[in-house]
Amino acid sequence: MTTEEIILSNLRGNVRETYDMPTLSFGKLQYPDPVGAFITAASTVAGASVIEAREGDDINELIRKAYPEAKIIASNLPGVKADRNPDEVSSPQELDGTDVSVVAGTVGCAENACVWIPQTMRQRAVCFICEYLVIILHRKDIVSNMHEAYMRIEMPEMGFGTFISGPSKTADIEQALVYGAQSFCGVTIILV
Amino acid sequence: MSTQHAKKANEFVKLTDVVDRHDATFWAVRSKRDRMAHEVPEWEDLRAAADMIKKHTVTHLADYLGRFAENARRNGVQVHWAKDAAEYNAIVLDILRKHDVKKVVKSKSMLTEECGLNDSLMANGIDVVETDLGERILQLLGVPPSHIVMPAIHITREQVLECFRGHGIIEKNGRQAADSMGGDLKTLEAEADPTFLTRCARYHLRDNFMTADCGMTGANFGIADTGEVVVCTNEGNADMSTSIPPLHVVSMGIEKLIPDYKSMAVFQRLLARNGTGQPTTVYTSHFRKPRPGTEMHIILVDNGRSDILGNADHWQTLKCMRCGACMNTCPVYRRSGGYSYSYFIPGPIGINLGMLRDSDSHYGNCSACSLCCSCDNVCPVKVDLSTQIYKWRQQLDSMHHADPMKKTISEGMKVLFDHPGLYTSALRMAPVANVVPSWLAGLAMKPWCEGHDMPVFAKKSFHQLWKNGLKEDSQK
Repeated sequence: MTTEEIILSNLRGNVRETYDMPTLSFGKLQYPDPVGAFITAASTVAGASVIEAREGDDINELIRKAYPEAKIIASNLPGVKADRNPDEVSSPQELDGTDVSVVAGTVGCAENACVWIPQTMRQRAVCFICEYLVIILHRKDIVSNMHEAYMRIEMPEMGFGTFISGPSKTADIEQALVYGAQSFCGVTIILV
Repeated sequence: MSTQHAKKANEFVKLTDVVDRHDATFWAVRSKRDRMAHEVPEWEDLRAAADMIKKHTVTHLADYLGRFAENARRNGVQVHWAKDAAEYNAIVLDILRKHDVKKVVKSKSMLTEECGLNDSLMANGIDVVETDLGERILQLLGVPPSHIVMPAIHITREQVLECFRGHGIIEKNGRQAADSMGGDLKTLEAEADPTFLTRCARYHLRDNFMTADCGMTGANFGIADTGEVVVCTNEGNADMSTSIPPLHVVSMGIEKLIPDYKSMAVFQRLLARNGTGQPTTVYTSHFRKPRPGTEMHIILVDNGRSDILGNADHWQTLKCMRCGACMNTCPVYRRSGGYSYSYFIPGPIGINLGMLRDSDSHYGNCSACSLCCSCDNVCPVKVDLSTQIYKWRQQLDSMHHADPMKKTISEGMKVLFDHPGLYTSALRMAPVANVVPSWLAGLAMKPWCEGHDMPVFAKKSFHQLWKNGLKEDSQK
């Protein structure tokens, strides 16, 4: 018998009684204004900044205004002025030293400020290796809770996606909260 | 007379400052958890759902694992099975050797700790770099974790500074760290500033991410429907570890499986709120396929789990998702620290898992419980933690680990409670003990008196008061 067969047959032999899957039909947290709740959660507990873009605003100007000192911007989004393209670099290491990465989120969740970032670029390192991350998100894609979020997310062809809620952080040294652990030190969400 | 846990705890509690800080730290985490729970109106529905989903999944685990493995293979992932730690370590080594791996960057995984992976790899000449900040500090210090979620919480900033100095990290990365904060290196170093130290680690680890040949992660969840794994971190170290090196190896305990995205939503809402008191971890990353041009492997590890399923008293430990809440709330853990336990997972869940792993080595932890049942009430998947500990205690005698002193006392009490006449006369005599000098009583039963104070017996027993009361009432 292979190890797989040994483990599976041991599991089958050791089941004494079985349980049904629950229906999950209980009521779930709903916000009267999910966009407002999302902005509050993102800009407080998650530690991100939120910019509400208005009709006619230029995305590149908003990014420049948020990070005036950024020298190297990386993105593959159409219309975003970038110095590096994660589809074209020959290795993920080449993205090191990126000041700002700009990515698109497809679902935002009001209860915890999570934004789903599907991998729509060849090198996903671009999402994590930068000093600051800019996420562009449509207001209409904001839902109240994670149940709704998991109904809406789609796994891209690349086979990776991540919910991100604010900048990377740690409290491993004496419980002191520090932003900028191994990944980006700050996040700006641009709501369009 | 004392268990191994009691002896070690006895040493730990002498460091009153450390105990106070440890207690306050974890009580604060517990309080944050309560606030988070109260913000979600359907919190108890979520716990009930999580309990049922896990019960359903582990009692249909063979089917779900089969589906998971098939979907993962279809996604281009290579799936391996390991029945124990030795087979698991051999599989990892084999994968790494095939890719000529010299350095591994690793995100926190309790399973690799359980299997002793790091020692196995390093003995074979492979450099292993832990990338969770707390884990990295412990690795450089050469000490084990004292908590499963906040592993280095017992280390002071001064100790971290000293450790980083000793490993040349301040010298190499200190300047860049200070510059990134716009601060003065000398001042920041003198203050052992936590932000400064974190930044030093950031640049030190960045060098390692850039040069590693393989990234290893655990898995918080495996999703049967899609064949993907989910890894939750705050630091982004799992994402850094897996988006740069050309090889990703996932180590997953077979009990981590859940059916689908609908279930995942339930656990995502519970995990961080319950574990660290945050509404979510910063990253909830879903890994379904290898990056273009790279390989992804998932190793499904049993290491005793399929046997636990057959254990009527303890199978529900398989529901645990390692959030750490049971240790945060445990009054014994908070005041005795992680190192007082002999198993690498401390607290209520660790007592049970240690006994299931090797009862001869870990029975000493069973005393580390006051049966207050607080753990049962915070567990997000409703593992019956205190009931299980109680059951272990009932079995200690048959395992030949019962404390002979407690056994004698218990047998004496049994005689007393089984004979009402004897009980009543003993009770009538009890106030006499009040006038026995404590040093004399202590001398006579010395080992018992350590940890048991002589109670002050009332002059009249409850029985007597009750009878007198009835008489007085009838006379009114």
